[in-house]
Amino acid sequence: MTVSATWVAWLVASLILLLSTRNPIYLFVIIILLFILGARQARRKGRHGWVHQNLRFTGTMLILSALINTLFTHTGQTELFVLPDEWLLIGGPFTLESLLYGAVNGLVISALYLLFDVFNLSLSIKQITRLIPHAFRPLTVMTTVSLTFFPAIQERTRHIREAQMIRGNPMEKISDWLPILAPLLVGSLEDALLLSESMTARGFHARNDQPDNRLVLVGLILVVFAAFSGWLLRLFAYPTWISILLYSLGAVVLVVVLATAGKAQHVTSLHQDDWRRQDELAFTLLMAAGLGLIVTLVTKLDAGFSYTPFPRLDLPEVTLIGLCLSLIPGIPLLFKHHD
Amino acid sequence: MIEINGLTFKYPTQAMPVLQNVHLAVEPGTLTLVTGPSGSGKSTLLRCLNGLVPHFSGGEISGTISVYGKDPVSAGPAEMSDLVSFVFQEPEAQFVYDIVEDEIAFALENRGMPREVMAARVDEVCGHLNLTSLRKRPITEISGGEMQRVAIASALATQPKVLILDEPTSQLDPAGAAELLQYVVALKQQLGLTVLIAEHRLDRLLPFADQLIFLPDGGQVLQGVPRAILPKMTQVPPIVRVGKQLGLDPLALSVEEFPAIHVDSVQNEDQPDGPPDEQSLLKIQSLNANLAGQVILDELDLSLARGQVTVLIGPNGAGKTTLLRAIMGLTSSEGERRLDGYDMDTLTLSEVISRVAYLPQNPADLLFADSVEEELRLTLSNHNRQFDSDLIHQHLARFGLADKAARYPRDLSVGERQRTALAAITVQNPDIILLDEPTRGLDYANKRALAAILNDWRRQDKAILVTTQDVEFAAQLADRVILLDAGRVQFQGAPAPAFTQFPAFRTQTAQLFPNTGWYLPRDVRVDRISNV
Repeated sequence: MTVSATWVAWLVASLILLLSTRNPIYLFVIIILLFILGARQARRKGRHGWVHQNLRFTGTMLILSALINTLFTHTGQTELFVLPDEWLLIGGPFTLESLLYGAVNGLVISALYLLFDVFNLSLSIKQITRLIPHAFRPLTVMTTVSLTFFPAIQERTRHIREAQMIRGNPMEKISDWLPILAPLLVGSLEDALLLSESMTARGFHARNDQPDNRLVLVGLILVVFAAFSGWLLRLFAYPTWISILLYSLGAVVLVVVLATAGKAQHVTSLHQDDWRRQDELAFTLLMAAGLGLIVTLVTKLDAGFSYTPFPRLDLPEVTLIGLCLSLIPGIPLLFKHHD
Repeated sequence: MIEINGLTFKYPTQAMPVLQNVHLAVEPGTLTLVTGPSGSGKSTLLRCLNGLVPHFSGGEISGTISVYGKDPVSAGPAEMSDLVSFVFQEPEAQFVYDIVEDEIAFALENRGMPREVMAARVDEVCGHLNLTSLRKRPITEISGGEMQRVAIASALATQPKVLILDEPTSQLDPAGAAELLQYVVALKQQLGLTVLIAEHRLDRLLPFADQLIFLPDGGQVLQGVPRAILPKMTQVPPIVRVGKQLGLDPLALSVEEFPAIHVDSVQNEDQPDGPPDEQSLLKIQSLNANLAGQVILDELDLSLARGQVTVLIGPNGAGKTTLLRAIMGLTSSEGERRLDGYDMDTLTLSEVISRVAYLPQNPADLLFADSVEEELRLTLSNHNRQFDSDLIHQHLARFGLADKAARYPRDLSVGERQRTALAAITVQNPDIILLDEPTRGLDYANKRALAAILNDWRRQDKAILVTTQDVEFAAQLADRVILLDAGRVQFQGAPAPAFTQFPAFRTQTAQLFPNTGWYLPRDVRVDRISNV
């Protein structure tokens, strides 16, 4: 499974799932699946210590979120202990419900982080940026450069920090970090200048037939108008079909504008996604699972997604449908990752 | 054909033109070597050929340039990119994508080239530069030499007529540099390319150059076949110096061209193997370091003695930088590190750096103050030392920076910036000085200035450890040599065997006179040579 569209389908389906559930059991299942998948992808990319790093992150997030929520939210009926009320912000009862609510938040944040990390491990930078429409070619290259630059800046920061330490700067207080800024900024600007010089010398933006900018501008204004008025009409309880019509109109205009502007870019790509049988299968399965998830959410079919420990702690409900849907992030595990 | 007539160019921020009334001609299908001191305008001249100067740099330009009938000044770099490809000095800073083949295809994608044609082009250049097995590899995981080849492949993918390389071997070990140059020469022959290379170090390139362009720091630009230009240059590679010493006419440009000579028996003087243990200021034993599960340093032993320059040589990736970082405690390692008898594991970084100075590969990382003087003052303040204006000015004078005290360090030339960094890390008067690749990007004059500083420190009884890929520079200075390969010490001892016995690190003089123990032009005893 290597096709970008399949991974995007996986990302979107998993994201909808993650943002729609607060059930700690489902979240736990999702995180375990993301760890198994991530470990496989990290091994393939030679990223040693990925599991260890992310376990540390997840653990830290879980503890921090639980502690912060317990400290500042004093609702719930199962009291663990009480601090005097006059203690600003933290005074009051500390409850098991707040602790669990914070922990659930920590699970959601960790799962979101893991989800994007696995997505990043599964596709190359170029595959990710190829998802951006051709009309935004400069944006695509800018994104690519930013993604390539980020590790370079991290590396440079490490070098400069060490350089400062060997000049006797202890790098302990925030003010000790100030000397890093000048070399980091100047060095990064120098690199950026060199990169843009190299891109210019290699014909970047050499011969684009620019589309008529006025037409593109008018198109984009129409898109914004359609989207905004559709939303406004819904707000004032006008019939929903009018809003849907306006949204659809906006979407069509957007596609036309992007296609027109994209054609003028005359940019090709060395690679195109090679759809194999297992990619088709994975994509179909993900689309079906995603659709099932949306139907479950729209029809408000209770799959145990919603859960709150308040006012008194109770065990979360687990249904077969909910459990099956929380397996969505693990779908790529059914398929081999071919290169 | 490239023709330049009456070219004068001045950068917008400079008062004087960097190129003045330059006239040059380059024949198609030739390899031209462009050399000259730092700041003489080598890179500027080459950038004029694809229009980066003045389109990218700004500035005032006059005179005419014609590259295969096109004027880069009116055409601009985008249009010239079909004709001229440029490989910059630091390949890692010019890559857009993270995968080798994507990077090679970047320029072709910009041209909207059909996928099939593009794939064929990428196949072709990968074949030419032996990159086929690396096509899918992330660029961050390949070596410096491989990065240079990827940069050249990216440049060649558009099938240009002219290939320009700006100091392509400055970061490569001798073997890597020789391999890269072989590729470039083969490409020139196979594709009929016109190649221009800017380079400070001529020793490796002279045998392949059809012509030499010398840009002095002011004065008339010299152009011609290398044998005609070299006698007019003051700084020349060892083979030319030896040739001049022996009165060769015409001068030999490579070891192969050097005439058969006979050297009467030479008595090799035995040289000590290294300092006795009691003199060692720094002693490292059984040092091990791993990075990402890979062994970088393996049971390494070394010692540094007062009043000695120890040179650390080895191929790219041998572990030289890791060793220096491990000595400073900047990377985790296991083993014994003793500084003047004290276990360094028990010392704080602050205690270590008061006695050990370390210059990393990029000296600019050290500089952040508003003036050269302020840089030194900050080091003293970090070490809780009293600020003494006289001491600072004396220290700056030692580095040839007395008149630069008020200047902004990042505005200085490469060599001056490096000397500022050196002054900043040594103002607290350390006993040990570790320098990581200090000769990178330096011209002959700046290398001479650096050598003078190192000699001065030696006289002050400092222990010095220098890593370098510049074998000729290393040979001039070394009291002792450590050869590192794959994290292990392959050789540790006197310089003569290091620079005469290991093929990858033999100096030109050692190659000319095998079995004599001579490895520097000054070692050559003309009275012992016959049959010249």
